[in-house]
Amino acid sequence: MKVVKPKGAVILDIELEKDLLQKNRSLAKENRRRFDRLGILAIDVMGSVGSGKTSLIKGILRKLALGERAAVIAGDLTTTIDAERIAEEGARVIQVNTGKECHLDAHLVGQAIEKMNLDGVRILFIENVGNLICPGEFPLGAHKRLVVVSVTEGPYTLMKHPFIFREADVIILNKVDMARAMRVNARDIERDAKRVNPYAPVIRTNALRGRGIGKVIDSLGLEG
Amino acid sequence: MHEFAIASEIVQNVLETAQQNRGGRVLSLDLEVGELAVLNDEQVTFWVQELLKGTVAEGARIRVKRVKGVVGCDDCGRRSRVRGDPRDILAPLSCPRCGSFRVRIERGKECYLRRIQLLRGS
Repeated sequence: MKVVKPKGAVILDIELEKDLLQKNRSLAKENRRRFDRLGILAIDVMGSVGSGKTSLIKGILRKLALGERAAVIAGDLTTTIDAERIAEEGARVIQVNTGKECHLDAHLVGQAIEKMNLDGVRILFIENVGNLICPGEFPLGAHKRLVVVSVTEGPYTLMKHPFIFREADVIILNKVDMARAMRVNARDIERDAKRVNPYAPVIRTNALRGRGIGKVIDSLGLEG
Repeated sequence: MHEFAIASEIVQNVLETAQQNRGGRVLSLDLEVGELAVLNDEQVTFWVQELLKGTVAEGARIRVKRVKGVVGCDDCGRRSRVRGDPRDILAPLSCPRCGSFRVRIERGKECYLRRIQLLRGS
């Protein structure tokens, strides 16, 4: 049989079928396996800058009084403000600075848990970068994902950013004590939540004062 | 907003594939982006072009195919194409047939690098 080989340059068509979000997903699965092996319940906390993610985590830690049996990965662009605030509650804390990246990804979280001493830790909070767009698209391997929205963000947050709220297992409506001053009706936000994600319970909180924290703890299946 | 991260991932894959195949110049690459992905494909293209500068793939033609969104309804049980303007962020949140909000996005969130065409010298 005669095989004709082309002379000179050849154009190759290479089929790749490469899913670009897959790498993060498989790293997230690895993280999850690691958490399960260690007997740790991991919770990804997402929400806007200033929505009250750190205050909520502090409130939960205070109520559960787990001390060093709780750990927090605090994600932020460059500062350590959140990590310092959380350390006040006695939990182990590690700061992950993303530099200019707008979200935590499974790789960064994997590196962080590598560095942490997680012996005896039962609950790990992963505080994501304050952002309502990107974090939702990058699962980290946490067992539960929680999105915090505060009434001070105005009445339209859920309808403007529905995708991240669809990823939530629990939606926290924070700073409800400010609703009247902000002329925001908490019920309207709850109605939007039912539309955007009918599966997630909405819990009203005032994290600074510790109100509603008990319900958050129940919804996450946590115990002291 | 994470277009840069995705673009970096694309570029890394393109360059690795070119190297593995002992390729010369990369002529083109085909991307597939779901219309419900939280990604702006023009920004992805821009960053890929930027990141490819000075590599064997500089100037490669970038083709983007948009994948239609499909939702599955937990109430009526049917799968449907998302109707209306895909940029309408609320379009995929309800079932186009029965109006229920209890829907899951089944297609349209993916981002694929499907194909690379490269030139290999003899």
